[in-house]
Amino acid sequence: MRSKRNVWIIALMLVLSLVAAACGGGDGDDGDTGQNGEAEGDAERGGTLTWESEEFSFTGGFDPVGEYLGEAWGVYTNLLLRNLVSYKHAPDAEGNELIADLATEVPEPSGDGTEYTFTIKDGVMFGPPLSREIVCEDVEYAFRRIATETLVAQYGNYYEGVIEGLEIGKDPGKGGISGITCSGDKEITFTLSEPTGDFLYRLAMPAAAPVPEEVAGCFKRAGEYGRYLVSSSGYMFEGSDQMDASSCDSLEPISGFDPDREQILVRNPDYDQATDDYRENWIDEFHHVINTNTNDLEQRLDTGDNDIVYTPTPQTLRKFVQDPELEDRLHVYSGDRTWYVTMNLNEAPFDDINVRKAVNLVMDKDGLLRAWGGANQGEIATHIIPNSMLNDTLSDYDPYPSENFAGDEEAAKAAMAESKYDTDGDGICDAPECKGILQIGANVPPNTDMLPIVEASLEKIGITLESREVTDAYTPITTVARRVPISIRPGWGKDYPDVYTFAVLFQGNGIACEGNYNYSLVGLTQEKADECGIPLNNPDIPSVDDKIDECYAVSQGPDRITCWGELDQQLMEEVVPWVPYLFANVVYTVSGDVTKFEFDQFSGTGAWSKIAVDPST
Amino acid sequence: MGRYIARRLMYLVLVLLVITLFTFVIFYVLPPSDAALAAAGKLPTPEILAEVREQFGLNDPVHVRYVNFVRDIALGDEYGWPGFGISFDTRSPVKDEIFSRVGVTLQLAAGAAMIWLVLGIATGIVSALNRRKLVDRLVMGFALFGISAPVFAVGLAALYLFAYRWEISPGTGYFPLSEGFGPWFGHFWLPWVVLALQYAAFYARMVRGNLLDTMGEDYIRTARAKGLSERKVIGKHGLRASLTPIVTIFGLDFSLLLGGAVLTETVFNLPGVGQLIVRSVARSDLPVVVAVTVVAALFVSFMSLVVDILYAYLDPRVRYT
Repeated sequence: MRSKRNVWIIALMLVLSLVAAACGGGDGDDGDTGQNGEAEGDAERGGTLTWESEEFSFTGGFDPVGEYLGEAWGVYTNLLLRNLVSYKHAPDAEGNELIADLATEVPEPSGDGTEYTFTIKDGVMFGPPLSREIVCEDVEYAFRRIATETLVAQYGNYYEGVIEGLEIGKDPGKGGISGITCSGDKEITFTLSEPTGDFLYRLAMPAAAPVPEEVAGCFKRAGEYGRYLVSSSGYMFEGSDQMDASSCDSLEPISGFDPDREQILVRNPDYDQATDDYRENWIDEFHHVINTNTNDLEQRLDTGDNDIVYTPTPQTLRKFVQDPELEDRLHVYSGDRTWYVTMNLNEAPFDDINVRKAVNLVMDKDGLLRAWGGANQGEIATHIIPNSMLNDTLSDYDPYPSENFAGDEEAAKAAMAESKYDTDGDGICDAPECKGILQIGANVPPNTDMLPIVEASLEKIGITLESREVTDAYTPITTVARRVPISIRPGWGKDYPDVYTFAVLFQGNGIACEGNYNYSLVGLTQEKADECGIPLNNPDIPSVDDKIDECYAVSQGPDRITCWGELDQQLMEEVVPWVPYLFANVVYTVSGDVTKFEFDQFSGTGAWSKIAVDPST
Repeated sequence: MGRYIARRLMYLVLVLLVITLFTFVIFYVLPPSDAALAAAGKLPTPEILAEVREQFGLNDPVHVRYVNFVRDIALGDEYGWPGFGISFDTRSPVKDEIFSRVGVTLQLAAGAAMIWLVLGIATGIVSALNRRKLVDRLVMGFALFGISAPVFAVGLAALYLFAYRWEISPGTGYFPLSEGFGPWFGHFWLPWVVLALQYAAFYARMVRGNLLDTMGEDYIRTARAKGLSERKVIGKHGLRASLTPIVTIFGLDFSLLLGGAVLTETVFNLPGVGQLIVRSVARSDLPVVVAVTVVAALFVSFMSLVVDILYAYLDPRVRYT
C-alpha cells in the first residue's frame, strides 16, 4: 500500500509540473530610475558587481600581450592595468580622448614628430605580492615582451618598425630596443622611425602597460603569464597577496583566476586613488563568472545574482524595450564597429566592379538588421568606417541608396547591365560564373538568419549562392588559398580611436597567405598571388595603399579625419570591396542593484571602474 | 578468473590504442579549422604563425605527432602524468583542467545514480507486481515521459519552477562540500533529480520486464510450492535474476556519465567534464577535446571490465577462464 501511495504522489507531482511548465509568464521587476546612458541614484562605495557570461572570450590566456578582444581590454583598462596614457572610461567621443594615466601628462611629440618623452608619476605601485613602485624599466619590459616572438603579441605590428629598434624575435634584453630609453626611474623616451600620428593611442593598449619582469620573466610561452598577472591599478586578483614571487619555481597560479570558471577581483591595497583622476572604483569586488546557461544568466538579472548581461538575447531585449519599468536598465551605445559582407575581388563574378556595385544596391540591409534583432543593434551602415570614428562627417553619405534600405532592384539591375557577366544587358547576371557561388557564414545566429537574406537579395540580379554554415568560419576566409568568394561572417571594431585600425583591412602590402584580414584582397599583386598559391584572376584589382600612407602621415586632428573620410569614399565608389550593413551597437541589460552604469568607449564594455552597485544587496 | 582479468586488461590497452588513433585522426587530421590561426591574433606574420604551431605541437608530421601523443599519455609530459599537453584556449595543463572537473561530474553522476537506482528499481517492482492495474499504467506513463523528454528541456523547466518561481532551489552553479553541506546539497539536488529521471524511467521499464519474465519461471513456481512467503519468492529468487542485467547497464551508464553529463552540466552551470567538452569543441581546443574523449573511453572500458567481473559473482552460472 505504501508503495502505491508513493506512486500516486510521484504521479501527481509530475502532472502538476507539466501543468505549471505549460504556463508562461515571468515576473516583472522593479526598475531603476536612471536616465538613458547612466543610472541615477547615489553611487556608494562597496558591494560586489557580478558579470556572468557564457565564456570569457580570451584570446591569449589573459596575458596582456596576447589579448585582443574587448572583454579582456575592459577588465585591464578599468581594473587591473595602468598605461602611460589611457582613456576617461566614458561613452562616445569623450571616451575616445586620451588622458595621462601613469604619466604626469600627455606629451607633444618633438619637432619632427618622432620623439615622445613621458614622466612617470610618483606613488603608482604594482600591487601584491610585489608592492613596489612602477619604474621606467617596467614599461620598457612590456615592449620587450611584445618583441619576444614566443610570447605571440597579438598586435605587435603596431610597434614593430614603428619604434626604432623594435623587431620581433628574441627578447632584446634591458636596453635592447634602441627606440626606448630610460633616464633614471621616472623618465622614458620613445623614438620612432617616422612620424606616427596615432602613436599615443598605441601606447594606451594593454600590451603596453608596465609589466614586472621578476614575475612575467618566468614565462617564456604565449599565454602563461595571465594566471600570475600583477596589478598596477585599483584592483587585483583575489589571492594575489598569497602568491610567492620569491623565485620562478615558487610561483603558483593566483587563486582568484580560474580560466575555466571565474575571475574574482578585489581592491588592490597598494593603489593610491590620488594618482588617478578617471577611475572612480565604487565596487569592492568584481566577479566575472562563466554561466553556460544563457537563459539562466538572464533570469538571474531579476534576482540580482547577476548584474550584467552583455548582448542579451532577442527575447530579453524585447522585454526590456517593451517594459517602461525596465527601459532604464537597458544601455545601448555605439560600438565603433562595422558588420559587413565581404566580396573577393579576385574571384568571379566579384572581380567585376559593376557586379559589386549591383550587390551593394540590391542588398536588403533592413532584413539583415532585423536578423540581428532590430534597431537596438545599431544603425544601418552606408559606408565602411563607423560614423562615430569620422566625427559624423559622412553621416549623410550613402552611395548605394534604397528605400528603407531594403535594396533597389532596378538600380542594381542597371549596374549589373554594365557588367561583362550580364551577356544580354538585361540586368541579370547570366554567365556561368554567376551560378552556385560559395557563401560562407557561421553556424550560429544571426549568421544563420542572414544567409538566406543575402541569397534572396542576390538572386534578384541573377547571382545564385550556395551557402555553407561552418563552425569556424574565420579559418576559410582568412586563408587566401581557400578562395572564398563571398562571406557574411566578418565584422571589425576599432583597436583604438583612429581609422588606421580599419585601414589595415585594405592594405595590399598587408595581405597574408594565412591569417589574412584583407578578405577582399584589395591591392593584390601577382607576386603575392604566387606566394599564396592562387592565380591572379583579376590583374586590375585596385590598391589604396598610397591613400592609406597619405592619411597615416597626417597629424591627429580634422585633416586626418577628412583624409580617412576620403579613403572611405574611394573604397565605396572605386574599389567596392564590401557591402557594409551595420554600424553595430553594444547592448547591456543590468540588474536593479546597479545604481550607476557607465560605458567604456575604448574597450566597448562596461566601464567597470565607474559602475556602482547597491552595497546593501 | 585471474587469467580472465589479465586478458581483459590487455584488451583494454589495445582498445585504448585504437581509440586514441581514431580520436587523433578525427580531431587533428580531419578538421578544416586551424587552431593556430585563432591563437595567432589578427594580422599574424608567417613567423608568428609558425611560432604558435611550434608551441601547439602542430609542426611535426602527423605520424610523429601521433606517436608523441600516445607516448605522452602513457609516460607523461612536462606537466605531469598523464601527458595531455596544454589547452589551446586557457594555456593551462589539460590534466589539471580535467582533474579539477572530474570530481564535480563524479558528484553529479553518483547522486543521480543513487536516485535512479532506487527510483527505477522500486517503481519497476511496483509496476511488475501490479501488472495492468492503474499503478502499473501510471508508472509506465512516467517511464515513457522520462525516456522521451529531453534532459535539457526538463532541466530548464525544473529550474523555472523550483528556482525562479517557487525558490525551492537556489538555482545554478556549484558549491563544493567544503563550503558547507547546505549550499552543496542545495545546488545539486535538482540536477540529480533531472539527470536521474531519464535513467529511472528506463530502469523501471527494464526491471518490470525482467521481473515479469522471471516470475513466470519454473523455479519461482517451485519456490511458492515449497511454501516460501511471497516476499522471499520475489526478493530472494525473483529479483536476483532480474537485476543481473541492471548491473551491466548501470556500469555502462555510470561510466558514460563520467565522461560528462553534457546537457545537465550546461543547463545547471556545473563545472564538470561535460561543460568542459562543450566549451572546448566550440573553441577548437583540440588537446582538451581529445583528452576528454580518451578519458571517457577509459572509464567505459574499465567499467565494462568491472561489470563483467561483478556479473560472475551475481550469477553463479557465469564462469570466466
